[in-house]
Amino acid sequence: MNDHNKTPPLTMGWIVAHLVFIAALIALWETSARLRWVDPLMIGKPSDAVGFLWEGFVTERSLWKDIGYTLFGTFASFVLGSTMAILTGLMFVTWPATERFATPYLTLLNAIPRIALAPLFLLWFGLGLGSKIAVGVSLSYFVVLAATVAGIRSVSGDIVTLARSLGVSKGRIFRTITLPSAVPSIFSGLRLALVYSMLGVIGAELIAAEHGIGQTLSFLQANFETSAVMALLLVLALIGLAVTMGMSWLERHLLRWQ
Amino acid sequence: MTQAAAMTTGAATADAAIHLRDVSVHFGDITGLKEASFDIAPGEFVSVVGPSGCGKTTLLNLLTGLLPVQTGTVKVLGKPAREGNSDVAYMLARDCLLPWRTTLGNAMYGMEARGLLPGKEREKKAHHLLERVGLHGFADQYPKALSHGMRQRNALARTFCLDSPVLLMDEPFGALDAQTKLQLEDLLLDLWREHQKTVVFITHDLGEAVALSDRVMVMSARPGRIVADIKIDLPRPRSVRDLQKSHEFHEIYTEVWEVLEAGMKS
Ligand SMILES: Nc1ncnc2c1ncn2[C@@H]1O[C@H](COP(=O)(O)OP(=O)(O)O)[C@@H](O)[C@H]1O
Ligand SMILES: [Mg+2]
Repeated sequence: MNDHNKTPPLTMGWIVAHLVFIAALIALWETSARLRWVDPLMIGKPSDAVGFLWEGFVTERSLWKDIGYTLFGTFASFVLGSTMAILTGLMFVTWPATERFATPYLTLLNAIPRIALAPLFLLWFGLGLGSKIAVGVSLSYFVVLAATVAGIRSVSGDIVTLARSLGVSKGRIFRTITLPSAVPSIFSGLRLALVYSMLGVIGAELIAAEHGIGQTLSFLQANFETSAVMALLLVLALIGLAVTMGMSWLERHLLRWQ
Repeated sequence: MTQAAAMTTGAATADAAIHLRDVSVHFGDITGLKEASFDIAPGEFVSVVGPSGCGKTTLLNLLTGLLPVQTGTVKVLGKPAREGNSDVAYMLARDCLLPWRTTLGNAMYGMEARGLLPGKEREKKAHHLLERVGLHGFADQYPKALSHGMRQRNALARTFCLDSPVLLMDEPFGALDAQTKLQLEDLLLDLWREHQKTVVFITHDLGEAVALSDRVMVMSARPGRIVADIKIDLPRPRSVRDLQKSHEFHEIYTEVWEVLEAGMKS
């Protein structure tokens, strides 16, 4: 049905082209570092990066724990922030006065660069999960709130008119028409919120934490272990990709009518 | 089919399907409708034409009870208009299909909302009407997969599934291309003949009004008043498509056009 926005199938030729390109890139990188065309302190070395990942995931397994902390923090801030946001959105739409009252404060809070709150949260919640979850929530909350309110507002007035002419009660119109109409918008808010939660959590870990990828990253950086930093960035990119793809998959299956 | 038929007051008051007396609507300073009075007989097909913003939708909103009566009397089948009245089926310019329901689900939506028929029979009836409107192969599709015309067919199926004696239609074919419009107009006439309904059909297309109706009411620009009420004496059953080539149709169209112009001036 939506054939036009599907990417063309990955043919053998394309796969080979990508593999060759990546291999060439890594070879160039390794050579540059070994022959000191570029200071390895700046770019690290692919062979060292692989060594670091091997150690972290296979022999010493310390990275699994870090990933676990970061993902748990991300998931917790996502769930907490989204739930609070959807409830707030419902409240705003049910009692418009609450929205009018709260909007200036929310706008002000939303204007704070969230990572600047991290020191305060660290003071309040300590070095454990609490502070990074707080930063994640402070980001995801606003994204989902905006999406919820916009989604509920987007309901077609004509459909509501039709339902009223059919004798459907106000409450039932809200539950069976207004809310379902809001789902696509809420869903795109949720997808963004998941990414933002991860941003917030890693940001907080970079500043200070006991565990987590962000914390490890900051430690390695301080010790000029550039290869390890590069390796972790790759891990982060892959995790981010997996999370976004999972969310898209869920969306496609839950919202087949979209 | 002469001009003398113009300015009729419509059916006898006592057994009118729709009855309006001295109805005016004000939205603050704006007059949405001015002193409308008319009757529509059961089974009659009446069109209302007029420029945009003259109060056509306002008129239907009174009949559906969505807009409370401010002054005058509005009766549908002898009872005061009221929201959710199951004697009335409403169809809008936009199809109003629920995007998360399939064609079948949308056809059943009206019946579900009104609690008509047990589940099995409801589905059977919806299937029957989907077949009548030419959508039988599309029961499991979502609206996004349907063309404009198909979506309006789906809306027609939902409307006729209700089996309400009074049908109120607000420019239902206004957004369609000419060919699709002709098809749906003829489909509507067929369904109307089979189901014996009273129809109030809003349009800004005079040709459509003349081709479909027993009577055409003409409204003036704001403040909206009914300035002409013209009987259309074309024989039934009609085919809108065939009428396009009919000499008689064009003659009547011209007559009505002149009445309309005279009414606009007065
Ligand atoms: N709820 C409303 N509040 C204020 N003005 C309205 C409202 N509904 C309609 N109107 C006004 O009343 C007039 C008639 O509107 P409407 O019945 O929708 O016209 P039509 O359907 O003939 O285009 C218009 O001028 C419109 O702006
Ligand atoms: Mg209108």
